[in-house]
Amino acid sequence: MTAGDEALAAALAAEHAAIYGYGVAGARLSGQQLAAVREAEQVHRARRDALFTRLTAASVTPPPAEPAYALPFPVTDAAGALRLAVHLEERTAAVWRHAVGATDGEQRKLALEALLDAAVRATRWRVAAGVSPATVPLP
Amino acid sequence: MRTTTTRTRSEFRGYRRRVLLGAAACGAAALAGCDLFGEPNPPPGPDPLEPVRAQAQALADRYAAAIAAAPDLATRLQPLRDAHLAHVAELTKVIGTPPPSPSPSAPPSAAAPTDPAALLASLRADEEAGRRDAETACLAAPGHRAALLGSIAACRATHVEVLT
Repeated sequence: MTAGDEALAAALAAEHAAIYGYGVAGARLSGQQLAAVREAEQVHRARRDALFTRLTAASVTPPPAEPAYALPFPVTDAAGALRLAVHLEERTAAVWRHAVGATDGEQRKLALEALLDAAVRATRWRVAAGVSPATVPLP
Repeated sequence: MRTTTTRTRSEFRGYRRRVLLGAAACGAAALAGCDLFGEPNPPPGPDPLEPVRAQAQALADRYAAAIAAAPDLATRLQPLRDAHLAHVAELTKVIGTPPPSPSPSAPPSAAAPTDPAALLASLRADEEAGRRDAETACLAAPGHRAALLGSIAACRATHVEVLT
């Protein structure tokens, strides 16, 4: 497996985890915040599918989703759900950041787009969670 | 006899000094590469990260001007300025040489608008342009630099988000 494929496989594993995590977060949120969860979940599902196709085409066995993932902390209310959403996007951004450095050409473009998207979503969730500052210097 | 000895020592010291200066210059220009005897190779031209660093510094300066023009926005804008300065520091580590001192003939940056809405809109446009340039640099860079440039592009994108 090339370093690029390995990084994309790690990104796929992170996307699986993010989709699971948003399922948990969505159960504790409502209204606009729930709509934002659903939208984020759709974006992560689309990335997961694109990665699956790409890795399969490169003859790399895509890592499967786990039936469940350990949460970084118990999520029992809306505040916890928002903190979880921040965490999911931060983790996803970190994995995509690594992929940016491990890939080139079209794959790097895909990784860069995903990094920017995750960083912006993390910022939106920090705003929703009342975290200040809502940005970090090196997402 | 005595005079000859003195001259010899002074020549020796002069030689040592050149060697030490050569070594120091070589250390500062680590990325430029050095030959076996410590002489720096001819500079390979400006580092391609130089414009990204200059832009990060220019963005930090824009925020400093904005904070001076609208102190009420300081709490909101200071972390964004700090992020750009952090980018300058990170890029300096990778480039390996300190930023060139600002040229005295450089035009002062345009005066910041004092109306908060106009001020934020102008910063947002700067961040948007900065985000695009960092993305372009990221896609053209070797892998070990691309991750940092991608992160800088992502940071600028988040600044656009909080200025909106």
